[in-house]
Amino acid sequence: MIHLKRITKSFGRNEVLKGIDLTIRKGEVVAIVGPSGSGKTTLLRCINYLEKPSDGEISIDEFSVHFKKPHKKDIHALRQKSAMVFQQYNLFRHKTALENVMEGLVVVQKIPKEEARKRSVELLEKVGLGDKLDSYPSQLSGGQQQRVGIARALALNPEVILFDEPTSALDPELVGEVLGVIRKIAKEGITMIIVTHEMAFAQDVANHVVFMEGGVIVEEGPPNVIFNVPKEERTKQFLARYTSESAYSI
Amino acid sequence: MKWDFSFIWTAFLDLLPALPTTLYITAVSVSCGFVIGLIVTLSRMYKVPVLSQIGTAYVTFVRGTPMLTHLLIVYIGLSMLLDHLSDKFGWSFNSVSIPMIGFAYIAFSITAGAYLAEVIRSGLLAVNKGQLEAAYSVGMTTFQALRRIVFPQAFAAALPNLSNSLIGMLHGSTLAFTVSVVDINAKAQIVASTNWKFPEAYLAAALLFWGLTVLIERGTALLEKRINVYNRGGVA
Ligand SMILES: Nc1ncnc2c1ncn2[C@@H]1O[C@H](COP(=O)(O)OP(=O)(O)O)[C@@H](O)[C@H]1O
Ligand SMILES: [Mg+2]
Repeated sequence: MIHLKRITKSFGRNEVLKGIDLTIRKGEVVAIVGPSGSGKTTLLRCINYLEKPSDGEISIDEFSVHFKKPHKKDIHALRQKSAMVFQQYNLFRHKTALENVMEGLVVVQKIPKEEARKRSVELLEKVGLGDKLDSYPSQLSGGQQQRVGIARALALNPEVILFDEPTSALDPELVGEVLGVIRKIAKEGITMIIVTHEMAFAQDVANHVVFMEGGVIVEEGPPNVIFNVPKEERTKQFLARYTSESAYSI
Repeated sequence: MKWDFSFIWTAFLDLLPALPTTLYITAVSVSCGFVIGLIVTLSRMYKVPVLSQIGTAYVTFVRGTPMLTHLLIVYIGLSMLLDHLSDKFGWSFNSVSIPMIGFAYIAFSITAGAYLAEVIRSGLLAVNKGQLEAAYSVGMTTFQALRRIVFPQAFAAALPNLSNSLIGMLHGSTLAFTVSVVDINAKAQIVASTNWKFPEAYLAAALLFWGLTVLIERGTALLEKRINVYNRGGVA
């Protein structure tokens, strides 16, 4: 169980998150949707402590961190309990696909090399890259890089995996392979928070959908409710604009 | 004027005993300079109070003044300071106790440190911020992230500039003759004046420096090829 309590974040005078409360049950897949600039990326980065929240609290089972005055030890622990899949993949450029996945296991979790290698190979096979173990990121397509990114996050066995628009940097024909992999691991009961603009995917894969705008959660609920019968006017407007936009782009 | 070509070879052999001196000065100043440059760069990057300001002033001053000036300041300044202190406290240790080459080591380390600080900084800037974030995201500490992820990539990016600095310090080490250190060039002067054959001796020294420079360049090219495997493929 993950609880976010009154999370706020300001950049200078710009308050980007205005008190986010969110509960995520174990094994749940949460999709966060909302217009650009609404603070979705910032929220994920706060959970991974890539951004220091101004205030609030996060608890993961018995572990909790108060963001007003966090301990260094707790920050480190929080980072180890979460793993991020980045919009721009951010694979370690000087390491092969296999080394990318092994790195955290060996360096952070101190797992013996042979065991780490075995686990990493299995994961890369699972994301369909068993034949690319020794390729460097520069030799892989965007879709392949992102699948390595997913394997790297999975390897750490975190409490939650955070996906920040995992397909929005991809060419359209590569989106499917990445969504396919996410769909597959979603079925395995791994807790995930996914920021996405792929509405059909969100509706299909998520157990819970959150609509954010202007740094607040406007509405949340099960996908069939949010996508079909939203209560809030702003949600309706967003979804209407979104569906018409995507209809237009086809 | 008549050239004595066979004397070039004789002079060349006479210069060889001075080769270690040149290599020591270069190696010591570049290694110590690298450590200084790393400390300066990291304290500027992490905005460490006092240290970062001192670092900035140091880099601008040293880069803004000739290398010979650094040597003279260290030689004269350090000697005066030491002699003053040893008078005051009655030490037996004074400026005469320091071998001349010691002044060259100190002065040129200071010179190299400022140049290398800039080289290291530009190497670090070449590493995408996302690399550090990914390292944090897999749970690394800052130290682990720098050592395992950021530094290796920064090193690869900085390699051509590092090689240039090394060559610059090799050539600059000839200034050590001003504090009576007998490096390759100073030795050439001695050989030339005892035999009264100046052009040949200096040419021999030039060839020796050229050879060393080519070695450094070749070494860099090899190293670059090895550590840059990860840049192959893609658009690069
Ligand atoms: N590092 C930063 N410094 C200053 N402002 C930022 C920074 N990161 C994000 N912001 C601002 O925070 C707001 C929310 O950004 P973001 O979380 O990226 O939104 P989203 O992911 O929903 O598009 C934007 O107005 C953005 O300009
Ligand atoms: Mg975003």
